[in-house]
Amino acid sequence: MTTQSEVAAPSRPRRIWQWADVRRRNLGMYAYVLNRITGIGLVIYLYLHLAVLSTLTRGPSAWDSFIAIAKSPAFLTLDVILLVGMLIHGLNGIRITLNGFGVAVGAQKALFIGLMALAAVCTAVGAFLIFTK
Amino acid sequence: MAIEVPVRMFRYKAGGEPRFETYRVTVPDDANVIDVIEMVWRQDTTLMYRHACHHASCGTCAVRINGYEKLPCIVPVKEALRGRSEITIEPLRNFPLVGDLVVDVAGFFQKQIASGLVITRPAEATLDGARYQPVEVFNESGGLEARPYNRFENCIECGICISACPTMAATDKFFGPAGLAGIHRALQTTDDAQKKSLLLALADGEHGVWRCHSAWECTEACPQNVRPAEAIMALRRELIIHKVKTLFGMGARR
Repeated sequence: MTTQSEVAAPSRPRRIWQWADVRRRNLGMYAYVLNRITGIGLVIYLYLHLAVLSTLTRGPSAWDSFIAIAKSPAFLTLDVILLVGMLIHGLNGIRITLNGFGVAVGAQKALFIGLMALAAVCTAVGAFLIFTK
Repeated sequence: MAIEVPVRMFRYKAGGEPRFETYRVTVPDDANVIDVIEMVWRQDTTLMYRHACHHASCGTCAVRINGYEKLPCIVPVKEALRGRSEITIEPLRNFPLVGDLVVDVAGFFQKQIASGLVITRPAEATLDGARYQPVEVFNESGGLEARPYNRFENCIECGICISACPTMAATDKFFGPAGLAGIHRALQTTDDAQKKSLLLALADGEHGVWRCHSAWECTEACPQNVRPAEAIMALRRELIIHKVKTLFGMGARR
């Protein structure tokens, strides 16, 4: 009649990680998780940025050697990733703010799709400029 | 015609380890998932589950079917089996687990009571209209509203939105989609400034509307079209208007 298989006991950390579990979820949840991931990424970037700027205190040679690295294609790719994160977080932030003020609540999905399309276009343009200019 | 349904059932008893157990039951091919659960119970009477009305008006039987929060009383077995070989049935998330499919809804109902909404539906108790609240159906000039709002009585307090809400997963203290939709609904039923003020204060609390992070899963999962996420955004709108007015000395302080 029955066959048995073990499952892990539900624990507190597992429950908290549900916020990142997008299985069987919808567009709003994808936006929510995307916003958190980009948010965490941008916070990490902020500290990296401050650390890099602090090389200025060690004189022009330290700064110039960093700039040399910053011009490499691998580093420029990181710039594009940063641009994607900023665009997703910033544009989705506009959607969340509007909705949070009770504006365009019924259009949250359309707003997300539209703003993410805008993010994709801006990323393409940005990437082109980053690698060609 | 009858069909044989393999069911992967979540099993848990206090003190034991949670596990999945697979059953095979035979039900009419037009049966709903609640019938499958009942057939499993006939095989194994230690299965704990809740049910009452069998027609989506009591909200008692809510579980997760194949990972989606659903009322098994209105989900056809055929639909639950579409594209898969077995049906997985689990209890709702974000509630304390009592055993098998049964979760502890006491804390949830305490939050539901906070908005002061009655559970019975006075407006529908009689058909002569005498017990309707004027604000519910008529506009200020006495005419019928062209767009009567979505009545919160749609909410059957099944807890599905609580299970679907990612914020609820992080904290039990969050008022939750159903609780906040209840506050929003209660606001619409009253013209009493003091009562409105108290309800807004409830929504404005640390664990109120600002705790929502706009995942919209409550509205997606709700089987009764209560649209809790929209209610939360409407409450925020009211609170922001109130706060801005207060800031510029145009409104009474709460």
